[in-house]
Amino acid sequence: MITLRRITKVFKNSVVALEDVSLEIPKGEFVFVVGPSGSGKSTMIRLLLKEEEPTNGEIFVAGKSLGKLSHWKGVPTLRRNIGTVFQDFKLLQDKTIFENVAFALEVIGKPKGVIDQRVPEILELVGLGDKMNDFPDELSGGEQQRVSLARACVNRPLVLLADEPTGNLDPGTSVDIMRLLDKVNRIGTTVLMATHDQAIVDAMRRRVVELDNGKVVRDQSRGVYS
Amino acid sequence: MRRIDYYFRETFTGLRRNGLVAFAAIATAFITLLLFGGALLIYREYTLIREATTGNVQVAVYLTDSASGDAVRLLTETLQDLPIVESVDYESKQEAYARFQRLFANQPALVNNVTPDALPASLRVSLSEPEKFAQVAAALGCRLDDTGEYQCAKPGILALRDHRETLQRLFQVIKVLSLAVLAAAGLMLVSAIALIANTIRVGLFARRKEIAIMRLVGATNWRIRIPFLIEALVESLVGAATAVVLMFMGKVLFIDQLRNQVGFLPLIQNRDVLFVVPWLLAVAALVAIVASVFGMRRFLDV
Repeated sequence: MITLRRITKVFKNSVVALEDVSLEIPKGEFVFVVGPSGSGKSTMIRLLLKEEEPTNGEIFVAGKSLGKLSHWKGVPTLRRNIGTVFQDFKLLQDKTIFENVAFALEVIGKPKGVIDQRVPEILELVGLGDKMNDFPDELSGGEQQRVSLARACVNRPLVLLADEPTGNLDPGTSVDIMRLLDKVNRIGTTVLMATHDQAIVDAMRRRVVELDNGKVVRDQSRGVYS
Repeated sequence: MRRIDYYFRETFTGLRRNGLVAFAAIATAFITLLLFGGALLIYREYTLIREATTGNVQVAVYLTDSASGDAVRLLTETLQDLPIVESVDYESKQEAYARFQRLFANQPALVNNVTPDALPASLRVSLSEPEKFAQVAAALGCRLDDTGEYQCAKPGILALRDHRETLQRLFQVIKVLSLAVLAAAGLMLVSAIALIANTIRVGLFARRKEIAIMRLVGATNWRIRIPFLIEALVESLVGAATAVVLMFMGKVLFIDQLRNQVGFLPLIQNRDVLFVVPWLLAVAALVAIVASVFGMRRFLDV
């Protein structure tokens, strides 16, 4: 589903974020990308979304080479196939929970019928069926992250990218989010999660790719944090 | 349908959100287009006056009523033999009257007081080099007398007029005026583009979080940009509409009052103002598109 072929990313200020990284993630896999801050986890996610271009190497997502995607058509299509969750939730404060999730479908031109069917469905799935008309600031951090996860999944993506999704949450709430990510993975979505939450990685026992200074230093199936 | 609904909802929210900035943009677009329309109308007035006074030729040879066909033919040939003469057209009394009627359609009092017979027939001459009018005068045996009128030796000539000379100063004034207004309009055009581009930037900034999410979930460039483009179009077209309204008001309140006082001059009419409207709309649309390109440049690539 995701292939990185000898990826190097050097930023303009000559900081090397990733160096000769190769990675193969089959469809339906759950992968943790771990490593300290600045090890290149977020850069990898930005590259997969084509928010950045690699300096060298080639990336494939769902069989398509990202380098060949056009900004007017190819990149939007790529991102429709990728759900994203971030540490800071990225919810719109002036929209209700329903509207926040509906927004993701609305802006890609989905008809109202589809929105009215899918949004309550996915909110029910993440356990927020009774809070659809609340605003984000009325929700706890864990609940907000569940909204963000619902938004990421409402268009049924092939891949889910999660960048420190539990970074702002307490351990108990984090476990809830991990259960949901696991659920999403079980229905066939490939999940790539960047984290430095040791407890979670150790508890889940999934594939672990460790980055250090932009290099892959460990790639282990059913691994632990360190 | 839903898509169009979405675009207009987004546009309206945008306009409401930065009301004052949008107002400045609309006001500037309005002034720009008013000046532009004004310049076009002044030019139209210039054309009307030129046509009224000269019928678009530089030299008129008025003929006596008694001039015979042979005399007229002889005069025509004399003129055509001159290398500087481009064309010679005969205008009969009836044709002169028809042109008179057309030009002063606004002033029936004037038209009713003139009979076809009162207007002389003429040879209307255009010159390739108008400044060599003296050659025409010489060929016709005309000489300036003390009163500044030409006395002509050839038979059949009532009078000889060099329109270019008499009107040159007026034309110069009108030309400079129309160019000055056009230059002012050009300057305002740049400000209008800058201000509308600015409202777009303010809008982009106010909605940067929404735009970031839109990009993330795979909204296309068009989907993100079109609301801003429509916003720019609405702003400049509201400005254009206001300018059109004001131009019609100015025509009714100012030009139509003037008509009673300077009945001898043809003045612009409603259809002249109407003729300017599509040009204003085209310029307004152009302003919006250029402003959008500048406003969104380097800001919005996915």
